[in-house]
Amino acid sequence: MELYTHQDQDFISLDDSQEMDDHISSLRYAGIIQHALMPNPQILKGYIRDYFILFLPRDIVSGDFYYAFCNRKKICIAVGDCTGHGVPGALMSILGISLLNEIMQSGVILKANRVLNLMREKVMKALDQKGESADTKDSIDIALCLIDCASNRMEFSGAGRPLYMVRNGDLIEYKADNMTIGIDPVQEKSFTNHCIVTSPGDSFYVFSDGFCDQFGEMTDKKFKYKRFRELIESVQGLKMKQQKLVLEKTFNDWKGKTQQVDDVIVFGFQI
Amino acid sequence: MKLTAFRIRNFRSIVDSGWQNLSPDNITCLIGQNESGKTSVLEGLKDFFTGIISEDILRSDLSLPEVSCRFFVPQGWLLKVTENPGPELKELLSGLNHVELTRKWIADLSSVVNVSGEISQYLDSLEDAWKLYLGNVVIKLEEELSFIELLESEILRITEEEKEIRSKRGSRGLSLKGLWVFGGKKKESIPDHNLPLDVLKVRLDEIRKNKEEKVGELAKKHALKQAGEKWKRLKSRLATTEDHLKYLSVRLEERHQKMTLLMQDTNDKTDHQWQAVLSDFRKTLAERDESLAELENHIALSGYVITGSSEEEAELKVSNVIQSYKSKYNSSILGKKYFEYCPVFELFEDFGSLLPNRIDMEDIVSGNKQVEGYKAARNFLSLAKLDYSFFQQPSSRILKQKIENLNQSLTHNFHDFWQQSIGRNNKIHIQFELEHYNASYGQKAGKPYLEFWIKDEGERLYPKQRSRGVRWFLSFYMELKASANLKDRHLVLLVDEPGVSLHARAQEDVLKVFEDIKDKIQIIYTTHSPHLVEINKLHRVLAIQRDDLDSMRSNTRILDPLKLSSASANTLTPLQSIMGNPMAGEGFSSRKVNLIVNDAGSFYMLSAIMILMGFKGKVTVIPSTNVSTIPLLCNIMMGWGMDFAVLLFNNNEENKLAGSLKETIFNTDSSNRELVIRMSEGFLNVEDLLSTLDFKNHILESREGVTVPNSVCIREKELPRNFILSRFLSGVKAGKVKIDDFDEETNENFRMVIDILKGLK
Repeated sequence: MELYTHQDQDFISLDDSQEMDDHISSLRYAGIIQHALMPNPQILKGYIRDYFILFLPRDIVSGDFYYAFCNRKKICIAVGDCTGHGVPGALMSILGISLLNEIMQSGVILKANRVLNLMREKVMKALDQKGESADTKDSIDIALCLIDCASNRMEFSGAGRPLYMVRNGDLIEYKADNMTIGIDPVQEKSFTNHCIVTSPGDSFYVFSDGFCDQFGEMTDKKFKYKRFRELIESVQGLKMKQQKLVLEKTFNDWKGKTQQVDDVIVFGFQI
Repeated sequence: MKLTAFRIRNFRSIVDSGWQNLSPDNITCLIGQNESGKTSVLEGLKDFFTGIISEDILRSDLSLPEVSCRFFVPQGWLLKVTENPGPELKELLSGLNHVELTRKWIADLSSVVNVSGEISQYLDSLEDAWKLYLGNVVIKLEEELSFIELLESEILRITEEEKEIRSKRGSRGLSLKGLWVFGGKKKESIPDHNLPLDVLKVRLDEIRKNKEEKVGELAKKHALKQAGEKWKRLKSRLATTEDHLKYLSVRLEERHQKMTLLMQDTNDKTDHQWQAVLSDFRKTLAERDESLAELENHIALSGYVITGSSEEEAELKVSNVIQSYKSKYNSSILGKKYFEYCPVFELFEDFGSLLPNRIDMEDIVSGNKQVEGYKAARNFLSLAKLDYSFFQQPSSRILKQKIENLNQSLTHNFHDFWQQSIGRNNKIHIQFELEHYNASYGQKAGKPYLEFWIKDEGERLYPKQRSRGVRWFLSFYMELKASANLKDRHLVLLVDEPGVSLHARAQEDVLKVFEDIKDKIQIIYTTHSPHLVEINKLHRVLAIQRDDLDSMRSNTRILDPLKLSSASANTLTPLQSIMGNPMAGEGFSSRKVNLIVNDAGSFYMLSAIMILMGFKGKVTVIPSTNVSTIPLLCNIMMGWGMDFAVLLFNNNEENKLAGSLKETIFNTDSSNRELVIRMSEGFLNVEDLLSTLDFKNHILESREGVTVPNSVCIREKELPRNFILSRFLSGVKAGKVKIDDFDEETNENFRMVIDILKGLK
């Protein structure tokens, strides 16, 4: 029995490099779409003093994403790190961005941890996670800040991702809950809501684990959080744009010619 | 005009009912024990309309009755019916959407309807200003009159002095010893031998000159003197009239007292002496008003005379000043004007309003209301559009045919009414006949009378031989139909014990009729019967009871629907008869606030919250069977006289109910407490008080993602809500679930609920 039509045979016989080009151009286009889906942080202008986003995807599309939302009462800044990278991570990131948009635009007055609780329900629903062994284990780690425009208060809630705050040169870490946005291996609990009274000049950093997990060319060791904290402390006094340059250079120097192990995102902002 | 509230004072057992709002849906029910004063309320309202009261209305202290009614009027209506009100009154009237009228009776038991409330307050303030103005004029007038008296006495004294000097000059033995010259200074005594004639002459000239000045001054005050004299006369006349009026009032009071004790009618037309007193009282009253008006007018006029105006000028100025101080209207004029538009109050009671077996034409024609069934017969003739001339028809055959046609038409119309209001068929035929007394009736022989029959399937019976229900309905139907002739005026129908001795089914039919007509006619009725109180409409109930329940001499008190908790058990008997004994209902508490919630599920959840939060307040949660039966529960609570509130979640059904509860059941609520508690947005039902996570952990017991409100999740999944919430309560009661097991979102919501419960104290 003839399995392939003449046309099929023609297709299979196409040049491999042509196929690859098509895949790459397709991915590039997907990357453009993904990037377009991430809100333009320009909307934060006028509400926060300064910010930078260091976004270094490992592949054309990324499993990391940043999120910014402002409705004149509340500002939401978040950085997400989806399981995996590349296409699966990118799909999850798009789900994450969509769900955050849905929650923030619902008009319900929320707390930071309730945003994450709600987001987790939606992810579990979307991925049909019910605590059964056959469930997909995909999830999103996220650090989410909710800033009250009318006061000097900020809430932070972290699903596996912490918040660094630098005040007067000292770095303070707000730890994340050891849970993710997705089904928990044991039982879901409410995320912790950290309330922070901010002072003018305070700098905040939310980031994925890509920077700290990067192996160094020279050392063959991970950059690690200790060094990352020191790096953050060291760039204080610089403007946010310059901080970004320093971080980017440090990362590239550390990485050298080794392969980037994961997507990298660092969202720094000053209020 | 629609009657919205009333206040009755000094009327039989009622000292002061306070303002009592009527049910906004046009049916108000008065409940209470015998002799509590229910009928007095109806009579008070009827007498407000008719103005006619009898002796037995007066209380033992003989204080005179007052009945006030508040009417709703469309905004701007008062302005339309009040011609040229003046700028201030115009502004007041244009903003009002109600008007209060008060009928006050006076010693001779005649009465006057005054406008009261805001309008009379304004008019009284004008009157006060007018009185103040007159008071000031009187003070000036008195000063001027004193001055005139002083001038006159001076002139008199100077004349005396002049005479004395003249006589002394004549005898040359002149002495000015002991004399005073004008100015008050005592002259030094001059010995007679030192007084030459020329000195006396000079002195005399001085006196003459002084006298001329004084006389001239007095002449200028002539008009004022006359005005003062008239003022004194008018004042004296008014005082005399008032004294006489007081004397007559005392006599009237004595008469009232005596006749009340003897249980006799005071208004005996054959008692000429008494009639003369009455006539004198009314005449004196009119005289008093006339004298007062004349006195006030004269005082005002005198004010201008003081300032030098001529009498003509003063009169003109007086009319101007009266216009500026006094409105062309007073409480009485406006009261009379507005009363013309007041609804007609008709009292429907058994004796006069039920169709009699027969009634003499003479009694109908003469308007003898003392005859049994007079009103019913009058209604009947009004319905048939008959007057006395109809019965003058010379041809007996034509007359009988006309009567037959009328009988058929009335029967047909009554059947329509019965079918429409009661929803059942009725086969009775109404029939009236014109008959003449035969010779055996003595003086009445040959005189015409009307005879009424009610035929049912061929059986011909007098109205009194028929069931009371049929007779009542037929008579009531005629009352309603006759009221249609009122044209533009509304009707307030006061029905005294409509259900008395009617079968329960017939009593319920009475309610159906009331419901059917309430959009056109306001009904206020008294009852003892549980069948005449609608269980889900207790906002219509006013409870009437005595201050001292064991004393029929104590005052009558009226309690509005939300104050039924103060009513005695006996007063509430009709309500408790339909609702059962409150003690039989588990959870109901007369010592706690009963918080009504939509269903058993909410009851379970709220009970669990109270346990978890350790709430020990005086609140008991009462589950309704569903949202639509919440008003019924409210009515039950009112009927049992218990404190209650309603907790409503933020869903369409309960949001709608919130509005209707406030319009009906909580219409009279004047407490500061929020008795209809509405949960904020997001709390569609009680289970939404849990965070999604806690809902999944403790209620659903499942880990799947829930992206809708908990209540929607239960509905979409068609879960047995009451069962799972009941299971939750059991877990809480068993200590398996503790407050620490809930996240901060749930805890925050629980605290909010407890704050609400605390607010109910």
